[in-house]
Amino acid sequence: MENIGALAILLAFCLSVYSVAGSLAGKWRRNLFLIASAQRAVYAVWLLLTLASGLLVWALLTSDFRLAYVASKSNLSMPAIYKFAAWWGGQEGSLLLWNWILASYAAVVVFMNRRRFRDMMPYVIATLMVTQAFFVALIAFPLSPFEVLAVGKEITAVPDGSGLNPLLQYWAMAIHPPMLYLGYVGFVVPFAFALASLITRQPGDAWIHTTRRWTLVTWLFQSTGVLLGAGWAYAVLGWGGYWGWDPVENASFLPWITATAFLHSVMMQEKKGMMKVWNIVLISTTFFLCIFGTSMTRSGVLSSVHAFAQSPIGPWFTAFLALGVALTAWLILDRLDYLKSESQLESVVSRESAFLFNNLILLAGCFAILWGTVFPLISEAVAGEKISVDAPFYNRINVPIGLFLLLLTGVGPLVAWRRSSIESLRRAFLWPVIAGAVTAAVLAALGVRHFYALMSFGLSAFVMCTVLTEFWKGSQAIRAKSGQNLARAMVELTHRNTRRYGGYVVHVAMVSMFIGFTGAAFNLKEIYEVKAGDSFRLGRYEMKMRQISSGDNDNYTWRNAVIDIHQGGRLIDTMQPEQRLYKASRQPSSEVAIRRALHEDLYVNFAGTADDGKAVIQAYVFPLVAWIWIGYWILLVGTLICLVPSKVRLQFAKTRVLGVVARDAPVAQ
Amino acid sequence: MRPWRNSLLPLVVTALCLGQSASQLMRPEIRRVGAHLACLCGNCKNTVGDCAMIGCHYSHPAREKIDKLLAEGKPDQAIVARFVKDEGRRALAMPPAEGFHLLAWVMPFVAIAFGLAGIVWFVRTRLRRPGTAVALDDELVSRYRERMDRDLAKLD
Repeated sequence: MENIGALAILLAFCLSVYSVAGSLAGKWRRNLFLIASAQRAVYAVWLLLTLASGLLVWALLTSDFRLAYVASKSNLSMPAIYKFAAWWGGQEGSLLLWNWILASYAAVVVFMNRRRFRDMMPYVIATLMVTQAFFVALIAFPLSPFEVLAVGKEITAVPDGSGLNPLLQYWAMAIHPPMLYLGYVGFVVPFAFALASLITRQPGDAWIHTTRRWTLVTWLFQSTGVLLGAGWAYAVLGWGGYWGWDPVENASFLPWITATAFLHSVMMQEKKGMMKVWNIVLISTTFFLCIFGTSMTRSGVLSSVHAFAQSPIGPWFTAFLALGVALTAWLILDRLDYLKSESQLESVVSRESAFLFNNLILLAGCFAILWGTVFPLISEAVAGEKISVDAPFYNRINVPIGLFLLLLTGVGPLVAWRRSSIESLRRAFLWPVIAGAVTAAVLAALGVRHFYALMSFGLSAFVMCTVLTEFWKGSQAIRAKSGQNLARAMVELTHRNTRRYGGYVVHVAMVSMFIGFTGAAFNLKEIYEVKAGDSFRLGRYEMKMRQISSGDNDNYTWRNAVIDIHQGGRLIDTMQPEQRLYKASRQPSSEVAIRRALHEDLYVNFAGTADDGKAVIQAYVFPLVAWIWIGYWILLVGTLICLVPSKVRLQFAKTRVLGVVARDAPVAQ
Repeated sequence: MRPWRNSLLPLVVTALCLGQSASQLMRPEIRRVGAHLACLCGNCKNTVGDCAMIGCHYSHPAREKIDKLLAEGKPDQAIVARFVKDEGRRALAMPPAEGFHLLAWVMPFVAIAFGLAGIVWFVRTRLRRPGTAVALDDELVSRYRERMDRDLAKLD
């Protein structure tokens, strides 16, 4: 079995290389058979990688401990779902998943465009398959998932495996990596089309129309992956944080930021024919940040709780990134003539300018995070001294940037395309500004003194008001014409321009998340050492330790603290935080207890036992944190709305360039 | 016997980790000093004051050290300086704003400045100036004129 798996991977590598060569040679020699053969090679690569993945999953499910990967990432008593999740629980297996997702995407792209874009498709295939060949090479040569355990020349098997890391034995972690990979890998597709459009000197934006939905879906997967990771950290790691500015977390966030900037600036190209170079730069940056993020997780360059072990593939990634960036940069510079703007800015006070600032702030945030992530390496290389760049640095730099971005989230929709008059701006901004100012003033009067929190709540109210005003004004116009009720008018309005109103719903999601983040300014935390019968208090919660119980199953032993929660003298809940020790890996883990509510979460962790036998209980109150997760569901709804085709096909008034400005020519009267 | 032995394991593991009472080491003054110091356990990006890992092999002894130095009457800055002396400047939670490390703080704002300059350049080159004469593409204009004539003829 292991031979078939390894052979399938090796063949997939050969066919990826063949697909690149075949599509390019076919294009250059105008040989359609060669191009068709290269397309079929893409399907074959998918089949081979599906076979390899199936064999690895089978080995995991049947506990074939002859394979080193299976022995190190699973054990007999693990539930089947986690045995399956062990596919991406280690370096080799997760690279195989990466490859399988990329092969699946490539097959879908080739199938969907088999009769379209005959000019571009050979280059799209070549780009996809170069990436595929690189990643398959990693599992074909240095990191094979089908390596067997051997003593001398004899294949051997261990009686039981070491088991999956206990921290990964959690439902969110079972789906977080695939979601993130669906995002990471998905950005290869718009990048491939962008590159193909550059190579074929396409002046238009066909590649954008083709990949718009693709980019949106990929962005959604990336958002889901990032937030699942945050949810996992919150519920599993036992310290209550959902974001720690860990290098690997940052690496997943960076392409999300540039993709968000792309999703905004691409509208400038679609509606005004502007920012063509910038959009190519953004999608290329997103792709390379995905590769960079993948390399950070896997090369061991930066220490991180998320990273896989040290491996020899760092130089492979460096070479791939260097070559890819150099080639893309050369192509962009060489094709600048084909990427000229089709129109001009008509006014500084316009939606176009708002998008420019939106991009600036997003990119500034992206750069600040990237800079903080790599600065320890730069410092060590230049100054010979490794320093720490921890959460306080990121918070200090990124909180004001984030707040400014929140402001722009509200400002953008209020400013018209082409130009806005002072009067129209005054009318548009009046109520949102009042809403923001009143919110901040009321909170300040209620005793909130945290400056950033006041700003965040005020700006959240401002943005909410702008979005609600947009929906209100639009639906009132429809009601006036059709006589529909408000709800139906809103649905009709959204359906008429799903991208615009779906986008507004995503803005509401961002507001919800910002409210959740802001709650962190009011966190409460305390550590208690208690025995059965002891009471302790945090915020408005009175807690009483009832007992500690323990138990055992095939996978782990456990002890839990049974704690009664009282509020105002009334029993409102009983929480049971748990400690586990996994038998196979001998690793402990915490199962925290969380009482979730819209206004605050009570979070209790059974952290251990003190010298005197008392239980160590960490208790936290996290205000408003639920709004982060609610924000995700709103984001999901908003993005899905954006994916629905609009009922009305919109025509945008483009300001076309009819000639060049002649500075010395007489002014036409 | 085995289940009982296994259930004792977490207790033993955590008891080994907890040399000193964790709650005593989370006093506000220890957190205040710890907020300036990085947890160097390699698993988190928290400060010594914030690290919530019970029995963390770095932050727990670091808090004990802070506790001891506070008890000796050392001011906050002296305690931080002591950590820097023992561990190097990596003990600090943020890069110091001096020498080469000043770049860590300055560069994000330099990037914003460059971005702003880029926007200014973009606006200046792409902004249509009112009252500026435009040399029109004759062929395109004549096409528009013909179309207008046709439309106007239809109106008649």
